[in-house]
Amino acid sequence: MTRALSWFFSFVALGAVTLLVGVFVWQSLPVWHHEGWHYITGTKWFFRQKEFGTLPMIYGTVIVALIALVLAAPLGFGAAIFTAEYLPRRVRLAVKVLIELLAGVPSVVYGLLGILLLRDWIYNLFEKFEPLSGDTLLTAGVLLAVMILPTIVTLSDDALRGVSSAQRRAARGLGLTHAETVLSIALPQAKRGLGAALLLALGRALGETIAVFLVVGRQDNNLPEHVFSLRAWLDAGQTITSKLGGSETNIAYGDHVHWGAMVGLALLLLIMTGTVTLLGTGFGKRSDA
Amino acid sequence: MKILPSLLALLVVTPTLFAETLKINGSTTVNLPAAEAAEILRVEQKMDIQIDTQGGSSGGISMLGDGLIQIGMASKPVSDDDRAKFPKVKFDEIHVGQDAVAIIVSKDVWDSGVHALTKQQIQEIYESKITNWKDVGAKKSIRIAFFNKEPGRGTWEVFAHWVYGDPKKAPQVSFPEVGGNEETRNKVSSTRGALSQLSSSWADGKKVFALGIKGDDGKVVDPTNENIANKSYPLSRPLFLLTNGEPTGAARTFVDFMLSDRGQELVKKHGYMRLKDLGK
Amino acid sequence: MRKSLDFLLAAVTAFCALVAVALLVGLVAVIAQRGGPAVNWGFLTEQIRLVGAAGGIFWNLVGTLILLSSALTVCLPLAIGLALVERVWLQREGPRRLLRTLLYTLNGVPGIVFGIFGFVVFVQWCGWGKSWLSGGLVLALMIIPTVAVSLMERLKAVPKKYVEAAAGLGLNRAQIVWAVLLPQAWGGVVTGSLLGLARAAGEVAPIMFTATIFAGATLPKGIKESPVLSLPYHIFILAQDSFDPSVGSKLWGAALVLLALVLFLSVIALPSRLKLHEEANV
Repeated sequence: MTRALSWFFSFVALGAVTLLVGVFVWQSLPVWHHEGWHYITGTKWFFRQKEFGTLPMIYGTVIVALIALVLAAPLGFGAAIFTAEYLPRRVRLAVKVLIELLAGVPSVVYGLLGILLLRDWIYNLFEKFEPLSGDTLLTAGVLLAVMILPTIVTLSDDALRGVSSAQRRAARGLGLTHAETVLSIALPQAKRGLGAALLLALGRALGETIAVFLVVGRQDNNLPEHVFSLRAWLDAGQTITSKLGGSETNIAYGDHVHWGAMVGLALLLLIMTGTVTLLGTGFGKRSDA
Repeated sequence: MKILPSLLALLVVTPTLFAETLKINGSTTVNLPAAEAAEILRVEQKMDIQIDTQGGSSGGISMLGDGLIQIGMASKPVSDDDRAKFPKVKFDEIHVGQDAVAIIVSKDVWDSGVHALTKQQIQEIYESKITNWKDVGAKKSIRIAFFNKEPGRGTWEVFAHWVYGDPKKAPQVSFPEVGGNEETRNKVSSTRGALSQLSSSWADGKKVFALGIKGDDGKVVDPTNENIANKSYPLSRPLFLLTNGEPTGAARTFVDFMLSDRGQELVKKHGYMRLKDLGK
Repeated sequence: MRKSLDFLLAAVTAFCALVAVALLVGLVAVIAQRGGPAVNWGFLTEQIRLVGAAGGIFWNLVGTLILLSSALTVCLPLAIGLALVERVWLQREGPRRLLRTLLYTLNGVPGIVFGIFGFVVFVQWCGWGKSWLSGGLVLALMIIPTVAVSLMERLKAVPKKYVEAAAGLGLNRAQIVWAVLLPQAWGGVVTGSLLGLARAAGEVAPIMFTATIFAGATLPKGIKESPVLSLPYHIFILAQDSFDPSVGSKLWGAALVLLALVLFLSVIALPSRLKLHEEANV
């Protein structure tokens, strides 16, 4: 009975997940039919003209997440090295608990702070580059960096603590200083775990909706000529999530192609976050073994 | 932990006391007086009214079309396309007030001397042919930061209808988009060189400033109540409650309340024109 | 040279840690400072009036609690089932790893994806419209991995000798599950649930198309067309549309209450998590 129930509930859960993937594939079929590969490579999204190219949104999603990662990674690794390698155990736990608590701050609260403070800071700070407004890819990236910081700190800290203390003691016995031990023993040993921390944080950044929605500007079709143009970071943009969270989701239902295009965006997002999460957990797993 | 499921069970079995729940959805502009009217009716008539603003006017129209709500709120007329999309639904437009769409700018633009634009200038700004305020009479060079209202918003439709005759003829443009009225006001007021379309009742003249429209004869028409009432200000729009056929039951009560003196006071309170002010 | 490197690394990483903590503490401080004045007993017990400019957030709070309790009720059997299948009933490592990987992947699925999924399946196909149950089901799906993984970790930590002793007494597997494994690992369910709920409480994206509206909903009276209000959606809407300046302080007040709710859920999960930390570090 217990066994049958366990299996039954598991199958319900697995069925729901299968249904989830199935729904996105099936419901997005019309747009693949309508656009073909142009759906991914197209650079123009004008729903009134039935033109659905998602490249600028894929660009926006990736750039915003990368900005967040570039900003949060050094800070997060630094903080994790400090908690894992320098703090006594009790204090370390306290700091870690504090940071993990703050990982739970809801994204709508971050969004509110983004509207109130961050937009204006970015706008004034980068004034000489003449951003048109405070709603930029950079604003969203910075906000996301704060949001994923706890994830990076706590997972990196775990990875560093996973390095055996016997190795550390041996290194110190060989005359290495504390810093040398950290840099030449702990960090290389923990590198898979650190990589996993980055990937899982990236997954969170790619999928974050509400906070990004409120500060990214939601400007369609903004694709710079050069992919790595830094100036473009100070323009407004659109991410997959900000599009999905916006008014088009309500308008689109009922129109097969338009709705397919919206669901297709969710499918693209699912593939992106799925890949990153899978890579991340794969990475983390092997470091344990 | 055990309390939660039983609480849940309690909620599920709570008997249906009021069979008729009135559901309303649509324009954030109409929402302000409507939501307050709903609050009054909930207390006085013990009515069960749910109000939401998903998708703006278009959300209201399509949800009414899908039969998900009984009253839609719209700050634009129901288009022929909408009617064609829902052939079985008889959209009944009930005029409850009038609002104007103001072309609003930030303080620095106002201070630089731009107080009115012609339709031609607005069109060229919309098509990115004019990108600096200096080209439309500003004393100094300020780039134009245009915030476009997102698709589905009544404000945008009214704007596009005025500039292009038909929203469908509006060209493909991509600007940063704004949704709600406060979001628009907030972003325009905090951005140099900003321009957007906004319900005129929100243009307070302190944080954001409403431009006048300059006619061919050079005469400037500001979005004042008088100009809206006598239709000389071109960007005015009706505020509608929409029903499927003649409203009945709870919907009737709600519509009647909005049309009553008290309902009309709410319309005025939120900065819109009452039917009386329009001479109706 | 080596000494200065030692000092430099310590200083730089200490600075990083300080910045991280300061950022996050500062953020809470800002919310508390802005929202504090608005929060009082009336704010928690009155309903919204004047489109958010007056009154309180009673029904928003109730709605959020309804969503959370229904999510938990649906999630628990599924998550416990999954954890037991992984730890007890699956014998081979291959399928076990597959199941775990699936759970991790599900954990990484963005909230908005769940929202669209719920919109298609519950709102449209089932014809429920916006309903508390759609929201509860969607949130349940979202927090399954948190609860299941947390329980799996605790099950793993149950000492082998307990199981062996129980088997020695002639208990079969199912009996061992009820008599030994679940009681020993129940803390994992509690911790996982609290953390999952903390996450679910603050999400807007999964419920904005499926379960919540801005005003007027009270207790749901059925399943179909029975939306609820909720705290995060309230904040999201008012952040974009607030006419009256007095909405401002109410808005921050709502943010503060939401933050307090989420932190409260995380804090009561703390003792049992700390215990796990201590055990892991012994």
